Amino acid sequence: MDDVFSNFDLVLKAFALTIELLVVSALTSLVLGTLLAAFRVGPISVLAKAGTLYVNLVRNTPLLMIFIFVFIAMPELELNIENFFVKGCLALTVYTSAFVCEAIRSGINSVSLGQAEASRAVGFTFVQSMRHVILPQALRAVVPPLASVLIALAKNTSVAAAFGLLEATARMRYFTNNNADARPEIFITFAIGYIIIVEVLSAGAIGLERRWKVAR
Amino acid sequence: MRFKRTKALLVAAGLTLAVAACGEAGTGGSESVDVEVTENAAENFEDGTRMKELAESGEITIGVKYDQPGIGFKSAASDTPEGIDPEMGKILAASLGIAPEDITWKETISDNREPFLQSGEVDLVIASYSITDERRQIVGQAGPYYVTGQQLLVKKGSDIKSVDDIKGQEVCSVTGSTSLDNVEAKGANPRGFDTYSECRDQVLNGTVEAMTTDGAILLGYAAEDPEELEVVGEPFSEERYGVGYSKDYPEMCQWISDTLQESYDNGKWAEAFEATLGKSGVETPEPPALDPCKA
Amino acid sequence: MNKWFGDLHVLQDINLSIKQGEVVVVIGPSGSGKSTLCRAINRLETINDGHISLDGQPLPEEGKQLAQLRAEVGMVFQSFNLFAHKTILENVTLGPIRVRKQKKEDAERRAKELLDRVGVGQQANKYPAQLSGGQQQRVAIARALAMDPKVMLFDEPTSALDPEMIKEVLDVMVDLAERGMTMVVVTHEMGFARTAANRVVFMAEGQIVEENTPEEFFTNPQSDRAKDFLGKILKH
Repeated sequence: MDDVFSNFDLVLKAFALTIELLVVSALTSLVLGTLLAAFRVGPISVLAKAGTLYVNLVRNTPLLMIFIFVFIAMPELELNIENFFVKGCLALTVYTSAFVCEAIRSGINSVSLGQAEASRAVGFTFVQSMRHVILPQALRAVVPPLASVLIALAKNTSVAAAFGLLEATARMRYFTNNNADARPEIFITFAIGYIIIVEVLSAGAIGLERRWKVAR
Repeated sequence: MRFKRTKALLVAAGLTLAVAACGEAGTGGSESVDVEVTENAAENFEDGTRMKELAESGEITIGVKYDQPGIGFKSAASDTPEGIDPEMGKILAASLGIAPEDITWKETISDNREPFLQSGEVDLVIASYSITDERRQIVGQAGPYYVTGQQLLVKKGSDIKSVDDIKGQEVCSVTGSTSLDNVEAKGANPRGFDTYSECRDQVLNGTVEAMTTDGAILLGYAAEDPEELEVVGEPFSEERYGVGYSKDYPEMCQWISDTLQESYDNGKWAEAFEATLGKSGVETPEPPALDPCKA
Repeated sequence: MNKWFGDLHVLQDINLSIKQGEVVVVIGPSGSGKSTLCRAINRLETINDGHISLDGQPLPEEGKQLAQLRAEVGMVFQSFNLFAHKTILENVTLGPIRVRKQKKEDAERRAKELLDRVGVGQQANKYPAQLSGGQQQRVAIARALAMDPKVMLFDEPTSALDPEMIKEVLDVMVDLAERGMTMVVVTHEMGFARTAANRVVFMAEGQIVEENTPEEFFTNPQSDRAKDFLGKILKH
């Protein structure tokens, strides 16, 4: 345990990388997932089918497989990306965006059809109707499922430990390997780190929900 | 709920994959040393010792690595692991009157060596298990039976010629290993992977510049792929491989040391080396001096 | 034009033309296709064959041009469909600002005028859920008017309202008719048909059965179906 506390800067650095992976992947997943959801509910049938195919393909594939594809298979196919961090975010985004898509799509479906009809009757295009009428209302319904998607993402960043990224779980394994006598304590220390991250996410979600409820 | 289930699946898939990945790099062709199994071995040990119990039961469980060519490696096609570690295991078992085919082999990874010993899941750990003071706090380690050092495996013609060239370079090894800690301290970007073969693949496809771990393991990979890979530089650490046993049975230390010394003297140790690590072309070294057992 | 829902032929050979400034009231028993007709006029329902023209221009099938033409057609729904996350004022200004690209101040000034005209100017900063049904429907009319439409479609605008609120909405519609707005109104309000309509269209089972002036239609219906229908509703 002394090893952990005397090297606490390494622990913090590792959690910083975990948080960077989380934040960057969350942002890209939200953008890609929203786009996919728009494809799936939109009027262009090719895009709707492509969106459905993507979601079904990715949601039914284990995250570890996607990591192996990005880190092990893609270099074989001459599609290598040099930067490890970018590769990690890519794998996490590919996976998480499918879940974001489904969370947002369920939110869109919770907005009554009349809202879409009214916005079309006013003369909005599909994109305008999505942006000004449907999505702002869908987002309220989407906060709880989206929060659980992001919480899952926070924990899923740990898969990167086995792919060259020295984030919290990887750092934990260095400490447990070198300090076999204090493994439970080291494990608890790192688990607390994850719990703090997840609690912050949950608190943020609850805050957003409250604020939007009042606004309505 | 869905996510919890996904996670559980991931872990399961990960384990399967990790095991599957180990099977990829086969060394092929099993050469093994003939050991002389002591008859009526139980009579050689005092009542109440763990050795006597094992000799009387005629069974022993030994933890070895399955993914390190030359050291401890099991290909998908073969039933038993090969390498210098299993050879040492056979020599130790023979002194208890246990024939090689009666040994139960169990795969250990770096993280579970101590728990396996503490819980009695295995009787001995012979798994490229470096002797350290931290480890000796919680388990017994006798030996060393082999001394190696951390080196670098690179693509042939790489700019990296020694450990002095790794500053700012991507260097991979197994996540959580001491080797990776050491290169991080020397200014390299540490890249941990789940298995050595995944790490080797990253060197082959040029994603990382070098792989690092004990020279003995690297020699095994270089021997597999001599056209593309080479081991460079002098060893920059000393790793002394020992035999792990449970602290509940301190009497095992002297028995292990005596049996190892005997194999040094009668040439069995040299035979074991030549049949395994020696195949990569290195000369057979002098056997290392054994640490004394505490009374 | 024709429309099928699966095997059901909901609109059968409908041929209807409406002159500028005309107020056409569509009546008929439920399931007669009158609502579908109203929604088909601005393509909220697709049609299987036939065409719809506005001002001599055919309504395009999809995309931006359709959106532009829809902006010329105001629509008032049975269930109001105000944008739930916007204030009353924003409901009325959203279209002019986003579709007509008006300046925010101009759109707000005009929206306040319209809200005053329909009698809900005091409620401008509230949200739809805080208003009564009658107030919401008047806001919906103001929202449609803000786009300066060439024609207004009313799809059973009073059917979801409590009786005491029906009049306040009908008053607004009568006022609109008197100002010369072109209107197509699907309704069960016979009183409104009598006072405000130029023409009554009677539909049954997906067909236009009878067209006439309200005076003629209510006093002297030609078809048996219309007689039967009027007999049922006028007895009470």
